[in-house]
Amino acid sequence: MSPLRFDAVSFSYPDADRPALHDASVSIDEGTFALAVGATGAGKSTFLRAANGLVPHFTGGRFSGRVVVDGRDTLEHAPRALADAVAYVPQDAAASFVLDRVEDELAYGMENLGVDSVHMRRRVEEMLDLLDIEPLRRRSVRSLSGGEQQRVAIAAALAAGPRILVLDEPTSQLDPQGAEHVVAALQRLVHDQGMTVLLAEHRLERVAGFVDLALGFERGTVVPGEPAEVIRRLAMGPPVARLGRLVGWDPVPLTVREARRLGGRLAPFELPGAILDGAHTAATPGETLVRIAGLEARHGESTALRGIDLEVRRGEVVAVMGRNGAGKTTLLRSIVGVHEPTRGSIAVDGHAPTPGVDVALCPQEPEVVLFAETVADEVRATRRARDLPDDPDPVLHALGIADLATLHPRDVSAGQRLLVATAAIAAAEAPVLLLDEPTRGLDPSSKDRLARFLRSHASGGGAAMVATHDVELAAAVATRVVILAGGEVIADGDPGVVLGDSTVFAPQMTRAFGAGWLTPEQVAGALA
Amino acid sequence: MHPAAWIVWATCAGLVAFTTTDPFYLGLVVAVSWFVYAAQRVPGPTERSFRVFAIAGLVTMAVRTALVFLGTVDAGSVAFAALEGARLATLLIVFGTFNAVTDPFGVVRLAPRRFHEPALAAALALSIAPRTISMVGQVREAQRLRGMHPSAWRALPTLAVPVLETGMEEAVTLAESMDSRGHGRGRRTRYRPDRWTLGAIVVVVASLIAAGVFLAAAFTGSPALHPSTFPLAWPEADPRLLATIGLFLVPAFLPRPSVDEEGSVR
Repeated sequence: MSPLRFDAVSFSYPDADRPALHDASVSIDEGTFALAVGATGAGKSTFLRAANGLVPHFTGGRFSGRVVVDGRDTLEHAPRALADAVAYVPQDAAASFVLDRVEDELAYGMENLGVDSVHMRRRVEEMLDLLDIEPLRRRSVRSLSGGEQQRVAIAAALAAGPRILVLDEPTSQLDPQGAEHVVAALQRLVHDQGMTVLLAEHRLERVAGFVDLALGFERGTVVPGEPAEVIRRLAMGPPVARLGRLVGWDPVPLTVREARRLGGRLAPFELPGAILDGAHTAATPGETLVRIAGLEARHGESTALRGIDLEVRRGEVVAVMGRNGAGKTTLLRSIVGVHEPTRGSIAVDGHAPTPGVDVALCPQEPEVVLFAETVADEVRATRRARDLPDDPDPVLHALGIADLATLHPRDVSAGQRLLVATAAIAAAEAPVLLLDEPTRGLDPSSKDRLARFLRSHASGGGAAMVATHDVELAAAVATRVVILAGGEVIADGDPGVVLGDSTVFAPQMTRAFGAGWLTPEQVAGALA
Repeated sequence: MHPAAWIVWATCAGLVAFTTTDPFYLGLVVAVSWFVYAAQRVPGPTERSFRVFAIAGLVTMAVRTALVFLGTVDAGSVAFAALEGARLATLLIVFGTFNAVTDPFGVVRLAPRRFHEPALAAALALSIAPRTISMVGQVREAQRLRGMHPSAWRALPTLAVPVLETGMEEAVTLAESMDSRGHGRGRRTRYRPDRWTLGAIVVVVASLIAAGVFLAAAFTGSPALHPSTFPLAWPEADPRLLATIGLFLVPAFLPRPSVDEEGSVR
């Protein structure tokens, strides 16, 4: 008996004009590692939430068909009655925490299921080891970084011992190392314990090589199949798959190893200063716009930045990378002037920056920005506050979200929200644009739009800095990469050099074909 | 310290404040409460709740006093209202300390099974205040980052809408998460129950003695508890009662929840 089965499931949210799921029939076998793929808003999250009955028990709406979990129909069993069979980790892990201390949070599900205390103690220890969070056991969940919170949420879900684990974008907030760790842990569960894992993920380069089954989502319909086949059909996928499509390989490669085998050896890249694909030559860097000297800052009790010296010139798109907690966010917040440094100076265009005028920052949680009734009003509000003509169209077009103009900013998907918040921030027309981790829920096409927007902002005489864990975004858009560790700059330079020299931050093309090769377009050109 | 000991401490300190309107006793309860807060607060968002409740206390006192001006105004009635208000403020501050030194969800787990649901609802409600405050900060900051200045009254929606909507979304996610993780299935076990320590027992005994002394004074109608406002007279304080309030200081001298390099609470 398969542990999770969808029989002709259709579902519409209350007041929605089209169904979120349409006639979905999928059966997932024991011990399968399944991946939900599809554009943002295609029905992945709805499907995941239907797997433990949150849809329709918590949403209302029109539901037909059957979802059977471990032999139990979700219409007859509330999520709590299925808690022993299926565990669900939402996208916003921080909001899912019930208790304060990490250890207690891990035990919470087991307490509800009535697991005896001896067994519970052992199980908590196992989970602390499995996700490598033992040092955090006495910490308050609210004091953890996003990546740490994500791992605690997964451990807490697993602790209850479910047969099926459902995760919505589990690596979206993790640094590359943290993401590898989580994916490896999931794979171990599938292989060693026969666990069934179902996850949605946009950054396919992190998971595509490990999954057995892909569920392709398109406007509410779902078609299961071989991962390579589904990824080729949906024209999504990791950079290696993109390369495969550009060159015409069939099936498309899903891992770096497959791509290397198909592509063969490429000439070593001339570094640095080589002319890369158009992405990297959009503007010749001009005069200095941001000048940071000897910057030191504290975050709570600890030192977050230790003596940063950095200059950013007009025309640059700088990717700021580094581990969770390396000081990326503190750096951006200091530049924009909302985090008081303890020492050092920051000047934008020769003077101390005014937030929103010289520098604008899109924060990690785009939700906190949004208040207007429509997306267009959201942009207008910024323009009016800055005494600019209040036409919202140029920035909406530039970000490719003109079609969302009349929608409520909270009625769009997570990835689209981020683009809306970016539009609202960028509409201030500050020459320096900062984005903090523009990652959550961003599908490949939204990512392309964001990349184009940042490049045109830079080539128009501005500068952009993007704090990100997404090495592929950095490879596609950055003209320069800065890596922080422990609050210090440990690498700063051409993306080909910096990313090529790193084992952790190397994008897929670099891994497959050597330093300097950054994007599939570039490699396809060389292979042609 | 065992959360139950904190419950006894807060209840007894609250009872003392409840029995008196003498500014000396009330002031001393506030001072002791602040001292305990400073010595025992748990780092994290609940830490802020002391400040929140202290501000709420001052506002309550101001409102209670202002209400007098709706009727006949004389020095005696103003003093009477101000002292009543001070009593409410003291209760709120004691509660604020309790909130800052305990984990509300840790307290919930002490509730007997049948009271679990209402206790949980109460804990959720308590955790909302500090969360909302930090959210207001985040939203104000985010609006500043796009060049807006959400300080004017007409800019209220730019603050209130994101705070309320995000708060709402978080509440729904939390409710979903609790249900998904089997909350309310009936059977429940406990992970690592809290242990009673000698210190916690001393706190309980000391608190009960102090509350007992004040309750006895109240039942015997001791004039020292309520300064006369008709005619208005300078309040007096009995040094023995003042010393009794000092018993509430015991928790301040227990080992403090220390925080190591990484921020682990031990």
